[in-house]
Amino acid sequence: MRALYKATLLSAVLAAAPLALPGAAQAEDSVVLPNLSYRTGPFAATGIPLMNGQRDYIAMINARDGGLNGVKLDYQECETGYDTAKGVECYEKLKSSSAVTQPWSTGITLQVLPKTNVDKIPLLAPGYGFSAMQDGKTFQWAYNPPASYWDGADMILKNISGGNLDSLKGKKIVLLHLDAPYGKEPIPLLENLGQKHGFTVVPIPVGVKEMQNQSAQWLQIRREKPDFVLMWGWGAMNAGAITEAVKTKYPMDQFVGIWWSGFDGDLKLVGDQGKGYRSISWSYPNSEAPVMKDIKKYVVDAGQSLINQAEGEFDSVFYQRGAMISMILVEGLRVAQDHFNTKVVSADQLRWGLENMKLDDARLKALGAEGMLPPFATTCADHTGHSGAWMLQWNGTKFEKSSDLLQADRGEIDGLVEKAAKDYAAANQPWPASECKM
Amino acid sequence: MELAYSILVQPFADMVGAPDFLIQVVWEGLVSGVLYALIALGFVLIYKSSRIFNFAQGIMVVFAALTLVGLHERGVPALLALPLTLLVMLALAVAIERVVLRPLVNQPDIILFMATIGITLFLVGFGELIFGGENKRMITSELGIPTGSFEFEPFGGFVSIEQGDVTTVVGAIVLVVALLAFLNRSKMGRAIRALGDDHQAALSVGISLSTIWVLVWFIAGVIALATGIVWGARAGVSFALEVIAYKALPVLMLGGLESVTGAIVGGLMIGILEKLFEIYWGQPLLGGNTEAWFAYMLALLVLLFRPQGLFGEKIIERV
Amino acid sequence: MLYRIAGQYKTSYAADHALFPVRQDAWLLGVILLFAFVVFPLTASDFTYQALLIPVLIYSLAALGLNILTGYAGQLSLGTGAFMGVGAYACYKLVSLFPEMNLLVAIALSGFFSAAVGVAFGLPSLRIKGFYLAIATLAAQFFLVWLFQKWRWLTNDNASVAIQVPNIDMFGITVAGPNARSITQYFFVLCVVCLMTWLSINITRGRIGRIWKSVRDMDIAAELVGINLMKAKLSAFFVSSYIVGVAGALFVFLWRGAAEANLFDIPLSFRVLFIAIIGGLGSILGNYLGAILIVALPVIINTVPAAIGITISPSMVEHLNTMSIGALIIGFLIVEPAGLARFWAVIREKLILWPFPH
Repeated sequence: MRALYKATLLSAVLAAAPLALPGAAQAEDSVVLPNLSYRTGPFAATGIPLMNGQRDYIAMINARDGGLNGVKLDYQECETGYDTAKGVECYEKLKSSSAVTQPWSTGITLQVLPKTNVDKIPLLAPGYGFSAMQDGKTFQWAYNPPASYWDGADMILKNISGGNLDSLKGKKIVLLHLDAPYGKEPIPLLENLGQKHGFTVVPIPVGVKEMQNQSAQWLQIRREKPDFVLMWGWGAMNAGAITEAVKTKYPMDQFVGIWWSGFDGDLKLVGDQGKGYRSISWSYPNSEAPVMKDIKKYVVDAGQSLINQAEGEFDSVFYQRGAMISMILVEGLRVAQDHFNTKVVSADQLRWGLENMKLDDARLKALGAEGMLPPFATTCADHTGHSGAWMLQWNGTKFEKSSDLLQADRGEIDGLVEKAAKDYAAANQPWPASECKM
Repeated sequence: MELAYSILVQPFADMVGAPDFLIQVVWEGLVSGVLYALIALGFVLIYKSSRIFNFAQGIMVVFAALTLVGLHERGVPALLALPLTLLVMLALAVAIERVVLRPLVNQPDIILFMATIGITLFLVGFGELIFGGENKRMITSELGIPTGSFEFEPFGGFVSIEQGDVTTVVGAIVLVVALLAFLNRSKMGRAIRALGDDHQAALSVGISLSTIWVLVWFIAGVIALATGIVWGARAGVSFALEVIAYKALPVLMLGGLESVTGAIVGGLMIGILEKLFEIYWGQPLLGGNTEAWFAYMLALLVLLFRPQGLFGEKIIERV
Repeated sequence: MLYRIAGQYKTSYAADHALFPVRQDAWLLGVILLFAFVVFPLTASDFTYQALLIPVLIYSLAALGLNILTGYAGQLSLGTGAFMGVGAYACYKLVSLFPEMNLLVAIALSGFFSAAVGVAFGLPSLRIKGFYLAIATLAAQFFLVWLFQKWRWLTNDNASVAIQVPNIDMFGITVAGPNARSITQYFFVLCVVCLMTWLSINITRGRIGRIWKSVRDMDIAAELVGINLMKAKLSAFFVSSYIVGVAGALFVFLWRGAAEANLFDIPLSFRVLFIAIIGGLGSILGNYLGAILIVALPVIINTVPAAIGITISPSMVEHLNTMSIGALIIGFLIVEPAGLARFWAVIREKLILWPFPH
């Protein structure tokens, strides 16, 4: 009888534990930085190196400097598997303790965005999310530095047209995209530019189920005979598209990807045959940069990293981009610390920090990341920063810079951003707007 | 009028206008069809012998391919990894029979079907735990599968046929012939068919249920490995491959759950027709991606007129 | 002792047909409702609402819909997720076309759209049965999700082809959208689910329910005693899809807040099917038990290791999670194929006899 009683008690405690946990006490001198990661599922292939990079940069700060000005950075992952439902669950679970939300999927961003006004936690989506998040007056809590998808699309067009979009007149451009909110992001801008400069845009969607078997899409590309193929791909879709392109004998130098479609691992599957493939990127891997050397010294060599060294993950574009993403976040924290003269930054203070970042050349040099990230600065009204980006090209074994720093043409984009932000606010009445008078 | 023209005339004009392209489309469809047929074959074998609708066939493909690649990554030479993977699939078959099937003997069909979904989830978690979730390259050249392509230039265009795909088709034919020979000629094969015809009678003449089940699941595992190798060679091995199981289901509807011929003919038919529909009707008229449902709708239409499927052996489950 | 039924006499037919012929059952239900309406709202945190209470209710309702089709009428369906989607998109269109419409009315109406689609895809059930029918319902699953993606009108030409729930007021209180409080959403869902459950209990034990059960148990015999099979099957599809559609509208409007087409893809259908089967086919109570298990399990697996001081990486947790759900499904099927509802029935039998089992 007593044993039974004990067992009942124990199970009652176990059952009660999860209810008590979400509000768990948070140490006095640490900041919780959660990441809605995906190391499982069909998108894990591209997710893992990015998340490793994010994790290792913060581990390096903690190991090298003992935290940020003495405040320990508590990096936590919550696994979503790129599943929107799980992502929202993670958000709900973490929101009481966290200083920031990093949703890592446009679908999750979509669901969490309206809640940010209510819960007052900044949402940081570097290089993804909505392009319209640039408008800080409407999206007070959302940040997508250093460049948005519309920036990316414009820069790609600029690069392939040799700087003059009018030279694309009469050409045909295929947009091969993932059939998800992320993949559809660039369509409005591309169509607008197409009308203005006289080229046709043919969007070809790839469903999540067809990611690994894109023969129908590539047959369509063969029939359409486009002058260029742009790719908004992710996860297993990248590798599928690049192998199909090799098979279809589509000229690689007319095939250009957004920054999430430029992963070394995907190109290694085809090796030399992928030579000439380009991908725009707002980060550039440099294993010799001081910051990467520190990560190697304090984290990788100390055996604290999860990376797959044998496959050369350390040198890959995505791993080092992950590190840059964490660097942007930590920089936001530092700005907030300085401004509010406090150590443990709250979510509200971090928001101020994220919109007053100034990552100029001198600052990047001080961080040891010179040349890895183009300089940019955010303001209250501009949550993107528009760093510009480089075009990287696959040389058979790795990505190399193939252009100078490109800048998007703001004229067309800002108009679209304003309209999209207005539409969004109108569809979600009452939506609080900020005046941005500081 | 315009619409009727674009549905009834334009596609055929396109086909005749670019025959080299048409050949390429049919070839691509054929290769997919072979893969659908292979997966459907795994379903049919298990359904025939045990009335289990094995949803786990899709994940078995991933699991087999991952084991092969994973072993190779850990330093096992490719040609040794192959038999080792077969051993793993045998162990899997034994485990499934012991742990899942034996306690569930004689339960309603839907319970067994759910159990195979349980197996699917378990294998997804287990596979990712051991091999990781990232996309892996299939060890094609290490296994001696050629990677180049043949090119023809008929009608002034060009048709490119991957040598890997040719290997797929040839390999699948060999596999199917061997399987049919085994089912029709060997003692074990006859036992499997006997079990499919009449459980009670088969048991009473001394056929061991558990041996046959292990054997059938092992054969399904072998088919899964073959499918995994050829499909993985096209676009790498990852858990996204799992969804091809859904492609095999309409094949089963079309061909009949119990017919080996049906699985093969149905698979090829669906592979080719869905590709033609997608290229000539789906993409120009419906915005593409029709491959997600075309096979199901086709099978549904056929079933309304022939409820037992094209090759159903008898009128089963007819209302 | 606790469950003594001796001494409770039925003196009229009405009493014999009462919803709770045994007084203790009514008391138990009263206690559960007390918890649902009073105790939980007083104690629950935001996380508990969003991760446990609201999803349990919504999934139970969806499983209830499926259970009417599969458990009562014997027609296996794998397209539940897509029918939920029809309800959700219909509700979205209604709300955006008629912004004045009361949300409750919109949700009730959106069920009819999904019911109509359900009947259309139920037509093959007149020709085929069993797994053939199950695969046929997959046609609905894949076709509808494709349609949600391609038919831009459904999402009001939203650039990311997703629906986003606006703030909706009802009698001056925001019930849906980002500004709604979890507790209002919870009460809204709770009331709808209670109403639907009450209706379904009465349908399934009434004349129509008996017709469905006879079709399920043996359709030829049912036809011989004069039951119109076509009517019976299609009415099951209609009622089932109606409930599923309402669950889908609640799913997006009162819980998710936004949805893209992929949300309604096949994993959702399987999830609902798990709940119905683990809970117990042909039982109303089972849907709730199944939903509690399936929804709470991952939450517990995610939090228990951390709570007792073991740190394992989140991806590891996810793998273990998937594995253990798979293993649990198999385990439950082996131990009790008739589901959790059967467990409760056994316990109740024992309690009635206790403490004198002979």
